[in-house]
Amino acid sequence: MTSKTTNRIESIIKACSVILRMIKARPNVRKSEQVYYEILTKYFTRIRDVKQNGDFLAAHTVFFPTEILYAMNIVPMHTESTTWMTALFTGEATELVTAGAEAGLASEICTPHRGIAGAFTIKALPDPDVMLWSNLICDNTAKSGELIMELCGCPGYFLDHPFQESEQERNYLIGELQGMIDFLQDQSGRKMDWDKLSQLVAEMDKQIKLNREICELRKAVPTPFSPQGFLELLTLDYLFPGQPEATLYLETLRDELKEKVNAKTGAVENERFRLMSLFVPPMYLMSFLEKMSHEFGAVSVIEPFFTYWADGKLDPSKPLESVAQKSYMIPEVQMYGPMTDAKIQRVSDLAKQYKIDGAVFYADTGCRQTCALIKLLKDTLSEIDIPMLTLDSDVVDPTMMSQEDIREKFEGFFELLEDY
Amino acid sequence: MLEKFREINLSFPQTSYIKEHISSGKKVIGWLCTYVPEEIIHAAGALPIRITGYQQEQELDDGTAYLYVNNCSFSRSCLQLALRGEYDFLDGIVGGSTCDGVRRLFDLWRKYKGTAFNQILSIPRKFTTQAHELYLSQVTQFKQNLEKHMGVTITDEALTKSIELYNETRALLKKLYDLRKSDSPPISGAEVLEVLDAGFRMPKEAFNDLLSKLINELSESSATHTGRARLAVVGSVLNNPEFIKSIEDQNALVVTDELCTSTRYWSDPVVLDNNKSPLEAISKRYLNNFPCARMYPSDERFDRIIQLVRDFKVDGVVSQIIRYCAPYAHDLPLLIKKLEAENVPILALDVEYGTSGSGQIATRVQAFLEMLEARKQ
Ligand code: SF4
Ligand code: SF4
Repeated sequence: MTSKTTNRIESIIKACSVILRMIKARPNVRKSEQVYYEILTKYFTRIRDVKQNGDFLAAHTVFFPTEILYAMNIVPMHTESTTWMTALFTGEATELVTAGAEAGLASEICTPHRGIAGAFTIKALPDPDVMLWSNLICDNTAKSGELIMELCGCPGYFLDHPFQESEQERNYLIGELQGMIDFLQDQSGRKMDWDKLSQLVAEMDKQIKLNREICELRKAVPTPFSPQGFLELLTLDYLFPGQPEATLYLETLRDELKEKVNAKTGAVENERFRLMSLFVPPMYLMSFLEKMSHEFGAVSVIEPFFTYWADGKLDPSKPLESVAQKSYMIPEVQMYGPMTDAKIQRVSDLAKQYKIDGAVFYADTGCRQTCALIKLLKDTLSEIDIPMLTLDSDVVDPTMMSQEDIREKFEGFFELLEDY
Repeated sequence: MLEKFREINLSFPQTSYIKEHISSGKKVIGWLCTYVPEEIIHAAGALPIRITGYQQEQELDDGTAYLYVNNCSFSRSCLQLALRGEYDFLDGIVGGSTCDGVRRLFDLWRKYKGTAFNQILSIPRKFTTQAHELYLSQVTQFKQNLEKHMGVTITDEALTKSIELYNETRALLKKLYDLRKSDSPPISGAEVLEVLDAGFRMPKEAFNDLLSKLINELSESSATHTGRARLAVVGSVLNNPEFIKSIEDQNALVVTDELCTSTRYWSDPVVLDNNKSPLEAISKRYLNNFPCARMYPSDERFDRIIQLVRDFKVDGVVSQIIRYCAPYAHDLPLLIKKLEAENVPILALDVEYGTSGSGQIATRVQAFLEMLEARKQ
């Protein structure tokens, strides 16, 4: 790892420690937030120290079954989260996207993925020992691995996630997972610890239940969870599935929310607009959006494709089957596979159950598979008289839209909601 | 002979052959991707036709309103035709989980247009034994669903006959392409695309007949096409012959291609084998065929492109990638590297589906041709 790379990972760790100091100094900040930043610190410290500790580093794309890596004592590096946290804390977003373009990736490729290729090109991320990727959740993830293998000169494994859920497809996925374990055993010389995987599965099942409890609590009026807090839930499952720290975070959060619900305290002082978020808001605008939420009393209370887990249960006595089962239950994975009537109906049901006033669709310029659902979701929600704001934006590229533009759009939307 | 193919394309999307088929009380099923086995539709007694978008580049207001501006113009173009009722004659559509563009096109078509029969096949991205088993199960399911929908039984005998018919098409198209290997081929690249387009919009029985006649005619003809460079066109789906014509108008010769509307469509035959059911033979061919950029590992595709370059004595490669076509755009940096290693220059064009290749594209092609010429000297 070059020192420049180490510095970048170090910058995430440093930023987390500054945030942690601030959290500790402010008595009314959520305790769960503290646990969250401690988890991030631990995650990135392991990546920073990987060589020094003689560990094996596996880079992997989003919605990857990281639990397998933990069960094999391999250090995971989530390419999307690591790249974009680096960018967030070093201010290098544009540089990374530009480097991705210079590596040959055209503007067809979403900025998150152009940035990842850029990060490996300029060595902003450490070269992994292996690259792992899957087709969850789109063509960009499916196609990203080979270029990274080339850029880092490492071997890789592509996990082919089937499109639908027939029995044959589930069996295919289990075979793919087994193939990946064999590959990792060969490459790392580390053995799969099946008992450990069973324990992780049991813990993940607990975590999914906690996620469901948290969702249930967010139904309260006023809603108790921070307006944009759902991103913590996402990141947690990306980075730490089945880890005791993640359970601690979820339990702490659940208890905090329970307390707030009992006390009828809302996340914002004067809750006026209950929102449904469809897709991810621009990362670099999180604090701006949070401030605006407080100003207008607008809170995201449910995200059907980001926090709402599909039905199902994991069985620790069948660990590999459970890893496959989990990957079908992940909220975002509901966007993969055919967009069936049942999935569309669920969005509408959730809007009613969570007493939504309006929905916000963050239309990411490069994200084709989500944007192609804008009209469908808008029509679905309009059937139950819920307006939807479509906000052209970019998850990571700050040059796409200014704070003023976003503010203006939201103000107009809130006026519309007022009149509804 | 070429006039005949041209005429068929003029009445797109509902060609005279399709009208005739419908008037005899038979069904028409549209397919969206080369991983959908046409033989099964044919063996069920329906006419399989390929769903394509507008022939020329077009304002895509409706397509864009539904699929959003950042989906490829191929899917938007197809959806717009469907929304405007141009594909209402279809009794069903069959798609594959090939790429984001097509899977969402399928979702929206099903929701906003619907057809009596619709199915999307899960297509694995690998070539492993397990992937073959999965694909076979999907194809089997497709056959059963179609049987149920059409109230027919698709026998092995009928499948075998359909395979033979489609293999004949493949063999004839190979013959046609072989003619292009010569130093001065009797047919241009644009004309070949016209032939292929027509083939998607008519029964194969009639197509094979016309195609055989064309090949005979060409074998005996004294027509020759020459140019200052021999090119291969690779990349996203392409149906507009004007695009190739605009390249050839600059005195270049497009001698081969790697497109799902041409070489990747016809390249490998279904190998019938007594130890295998016809359905297994079909599955094997479709999953192992000249791969699309969606498949892994990409080297399978790159190696076959390089083979084409050698077989057709190609001087340079033109990559045309439709905006927002992520599978092909992702492959591009790696393909460039492979071709560089072979000392084959590549021109990478960002296009919209249906483009005629004029304006800025023409200027870039011109510069590319000059560079190829300079290399030769
Ligand atoms: S932003 Fe969209 S296109 Fe990019 S990786 Fe995520 S889901 Fe795929
Ligand atoms: S392969 Fe490319 S052009 Fe073809 S449908 Fe998919 S995204 Fe569109």
